[in-house]
Amino acid sequence: MKYNTPTHPEPDAKLLRSAKKGNHQAFAELVRNYEDLVYSFAFKVCRNKDKASETLQDTFVNVYRKLDQFDHRSKFTTWLYSIVTNNCLMKNRRTKLDEASISIDSVPLPHESDNHHRDEVIPEWRSTPLDKVMNSELKDLLDNAIQKLPSDYRIVFILRDVEGRSAEETAKILKLTVPAVKSRLRRARVFLREQLNQYMTS
Amino acid sequence: MKNKPVKCKDVFNYICDKLDADLNSPKCRSIKKHIDDCPNCITYLDSLKKTILLYKVYPKVKAPKGSIKEIFAKLEIES
Ligand SMILES: [Zn+2]
Repeated sequence: MKYNTPTHPEPDAKLLRSAKKGNHQAFAELVRNYEDLVYSFAFKVCRNKDKASETLQDTFVNVYRKLDQFDHRSKFTTWLYSIVTNNCLMKNRRTKLDEASISIDSVPLPHESDNHHRDEVIPEWRSTPLDKVMNSELKDLLDNAIQKLPSDYRIVFILRDVEGRSAEETAKILKLTVPAVKSRLRRARVFLREQLNQYMTS
Repeated sequence: MKNKPVKCKDVFNYICDKLDADLNSPKCRSIKKHIDDCPNCITYLDSLKKTILLYKVYPKVKAPKGSIKEIFAKLEIES
């Protein structure tokens, strides 16, 4: 079982130049090289096949139309993530998925007091290899837990911890400051951990 | 963090930015010392790491076949 984050190389400069000039074959190759990245990211955010497909299509329509504005000051993948992220956020707003999500600020961080409660012992989580504990019950739990997160927290968690982008790049993608990314990530992790805690300790 | 004793809160705030920080670096010695003596911190950090791993393992998906045709159709261009 590999837990490694997939790396996505930057497109070939020549390919990008041809695509920018309106070469359809070059654009098609760009789509083929990055459609899994875009679809899988969109799916992880919205947990829905139809919405992820729609987001994939909208994202590449945007890429095609805006490609001549891409100025190489950022990496192509950073630019691509910011487009797909915008599409995910727009779609969420449209369907009001966020109505179901909780107010994350009401979730206390652990250790907000200096030390753990002296008499509190935090129960240990299962140690079985995690791919072996994966079943439909846990999958549902994972889906439900992440969907309770407000989408801007959810996206920070997915970019940083699942996709393995740096705090700096995540800040750039979301037009946030690095400390804002870090604070959202902290709360998102703690929230998800709380959601899974009962299942993983029983 | 040199003179003050490290508390659970410090561990959490420090580690959370980089869960896999190398705790053997001199900077982290005081944090590592706290963790070694604090079973709750060990358990808590372990559960945070497992939370992340679970979301890395699931879901794994690929773009549906034929997406490119739909994109070209939306753009009204020929492939
Ligand atoms: Zn502690």
